[in-house]
Amino acid sequence: MSQTTSPAIALNELCFSYPDKPHVLDHLDLHIAPGERVGLIGPNGAGKTTLFLLISGILKPTSGKILVHDKNVVSGTFNPQVTLVFQKSDDQLFCPSVWEDVAFGPRSMGLSEDQVARRVQNVLTIVGAQELAQRPVHHLSEGEKRIVAIAGALAMHPQVMIYDEPSAGLDIRTRRRLIGLLKQSDQTLLIASHDLELVLEVCTRVVLLDQGRIVADGPTKTILNDEDLMIAHGQEKPHSLIPHALPHNH
Amino acid sequence: MIAHSATDSPAAPFVHRWDPRMKLIGLLLLAFTFSFVTNPRVLPVMIALTLVVVAVSRYPLNLLLRRLRYPSLVILGLIALLPFISGFTPLVEWGGLTITREGLQAAILVATRFFCIVTLAAVLLGTTPLLRTITAMQALGLPSIMADMTLLVIRYLEVLSADLRRMRIAMRLRGHAEQRRPWRNLPTLAWLTGSLILRGYERSQGVYNAMRLRGYGHAPIRQSEFTANRKDLLALAGICALSGILIWLELAL
Repeated sequence: MSQTTSPAIALNELCFSYPDKPHVLDHLDLHIAPGERVGLIGPNGAGKTTLFLLISGILKPTSGKILVHDKNVVSGTFNPQVTLVFQKSDDQLFCPSVWEDVAFGPRSMGLSEDQVARRVQNVLTIVGAQELAQRPVHHLSEGEKRIVAIAGALAMHPQVMIYDEPSAGLDIRTRRRLIGLLKQSDQTLLIASHDLELVLEVCTRVVLLDQGRIVADGPTKTILNDEDLMIAHGQEKPHSLIPHALPHNH
Repeated sequence: MIAHSATDSPAAPFVHRWDPRMKLIGLLLLAFTFSFVTNPRVLPVMIALTLVVVAVSRYPLNLLLRRLRYPSLVILGLIALLPFISGFTPLVEWGGLTITREGLQAAILVATRFFCIVTLAAVLLGTTPLLRTITAMQALGLPSIMADMTLLVIRYLEVLSADLRRMRIAMRLRGHAEQRRPWRNLPTLAWLTGSLILRGYERSQGVYNAMRLRGYGHAPIRQSEFTANRKDLLALAGICALSGILIWLELAL
């Protein structure tokens, strides 16, 4: 990535505390280039979801700045440039039917009904969920819900897409389909996941977050290969990076 | 939550394809007219009208009977006592019980009105998908916030009931036996209810965040998606005329 282009996401001295939990995020500095696919790893409670809610403008930083494509993120405003795919799809899919849910974002953006219909049709085709269009959301399987949630986010044509545990609870086939979608994506991606094999396959860069601080930032393979670093922060080196003396079947 | 027999395909009977706004207005008009009827001689006309609507809608009879099952229990419980406690002209005396003419007439009147209205509501609402009915209510002036709340209730009722099912299975797997010594179950049921409320509250925060992220409240007001054609308007005019005839019969007979 060129160093001269302005970053897609820039965090400058970002701090955040909840009223009952101080220093959830502690002086974070991070720059993510446009089109970069960054994995955010770290133990539970490291602050990953909080960071996502801050970048999306849902929470307000205690101090510091968040810039998305050089624009200051103002909490409480609608910013369709950034979308977040939630860990629990049921939280994200609040409309009764798939079509209505995917159309919700484009409608909020003030598009005409024709444009909305085209976008919905287009993203449902991209994610391979055309046949789900008229289905009630509560009749979908967990995997279908996740795919529809991604369609709902994609329909807004965001420049930055944030995924919170995208592969959690998915079966092998849906997980593979998800990886395919993520790899095809041309947006800037920020993916939090405990599925390190997914991170290894999709992301070019990894940021390791622990106790509200960035403890490592670098190329995916370099970070995930560092066994001492990974163990020190409650992680495990992915199985596929462990050299095998003998070929085996697992 | 989609009406089982609702379809708007061109081959479906007209009642299915009738503009939902017109359908709602027609239903309200008929319901108010039926509740205005007190003359027993008008009741056969009311029943005939209801049966005609059921017939032309080709609404599945078994589904209709299923829909009427629970409301019937309530109304039958209410009207069963009327012939014994109301009125003064004895019709049948048996033991210490007297069935009065006025009481029986009142019971028949209430039951007929109730069944006609509930049947019409089941058929007319059941032939339009629920979401479309709510959108039609919105187009008729129901405030957006109320429509949104209704839709969210419909959407999350299923999620919460799935949560409840899972929690009850988990309880059973750990030895909880429901309905055996119910008083002993009370603390557990209180925990279960509390957990569900907390889960619902936490989920509502997540849902609200998701709604804000996708611009809830920023969408411009949409033009009504409904357009009433000549047939829709004629059908509503027909309902108005029938209501007028019923009122005339009520006053004239």
